[in-house]
Amino acid sequence: MFFGFGNIILVGLLLVNAIAVLSEDRFLARIGWSTTVQESSFGGAQDNQSVKAKLVNLIASVRTLLRIPLIILNTVVVIYLIILG
Amino acid sequence: MADPTAQMGLHMGKSAFDAGQQYLESNMNRWVNVASLKHYFNVSNSYVVSKLRLVLFPWWHRPWSRTQHLSHNGGQDFGVYAPPREDINSPDMYIPLMALVTYILFSTLLAGLRRTFHPELFGLTATTALVVVFLEIAIIRLAMYLLSINNESQLLDLVAYSGYKFVGVILTLLLSEIANRGGGSGGWVGWGVFIYTFAANGFFLLRSLKYVLLPDTSPNTNSGQAYTASRSHRQRRTQFLFIYSFPLQFLFMWILTRDSVPTAVLTGSK
Repeated sequence: MFFGFGNIILVGLLLVNAIAVLSEDRFLARIGWSTTVQESSFGGAQDNQSVKAKLVNLIASVRTLLRIPLIILNTVVVIYLIILG
Repeated sequence: MADPTAQMGLHMGKSAFDAGQQYLESNMNRWVNVASLKHYFNVSNSYVVSKLRLVLFPWWHRPWSRTQHLSHNGGQDFGVYAPPREDINSPDMYIPLMALVTYILFSTLLAGLRRTFHPELFGLTATTALVVVFLEIAIIRLAMYLLSINNESQLLDLVAYSGYKFVGVILTLLLSEIANRGGGSGGWVGWGVFIYTFAANGFFLLRSLKYVLLPDTSPNTNSGQAYTASRSHRQRRTQFLFIYSFPLQFLFMWILTRDSVPTAVLTGSK
């Protein structure tokens, strides 16, 4: 079981794609993982420290930051795979 | 040399060479922090021997904290860690680098002895080992972000800590090869040595990473954060430390000691 280098890059790309396509309002809000989960009784204190909040933040930032580079990377990989057959 | 043209040519060549070297140095300093890299290779022979013994027998070692030189720099003092030459608990990059290269060469040698050698094996083994190290660093970084562990430990520290397992892997491969006479790394001896080196490596990591991942035991850090970590937080961090040291290392060490082809097929045994 040797990891080829190209294989690892493809696996990583697919995983990041999977994180980036989780739709914010159709899926994450349903299961309570959206970025605006805070009760209005606090007034200003936002729960920023727990593992779940950090995960939610991570998913949101992957979605916003990596959208354009992912498009470019996916196009490159698709063209590469088409050429290689 | 009294020939003036030759002298001029020599002078021009020398100044061109100096300019090239300066260009290289300025670019290297931007990408690779050479000064901190030198800290990791500042080892001595006695350090290497004692560190190897520590990786394989970590049970009776007492103080695991790294010594610091407190240096005053314009009013604020921060701790600069002692180099590996003076402090046996300090991680170095010499042993992991040598162990990685030895692992690659040794497993290709074993493949050659079993007559399954092909030249791409070098690249495959190197890629596998580097991917394992990269995955470990990624997991630790992810956990540090998710668990809000604010730690200024350097990247190369973590690389060094994850490189120490290659020592155990090499030992496993060597001893199981000698004992099984080319029959692969299964069997009693192979698994026994593997379990021992895995336990030693896990204990070593547990003790060393305690200072990296659980930061609330040092009384004189002047980080401005108050002690806000709740008890469940600390529990989670400790749990992660355990999960990282033992099951994950088991997985990674097992990956590294696999054979590429089932050797029972090759040697015709069983």
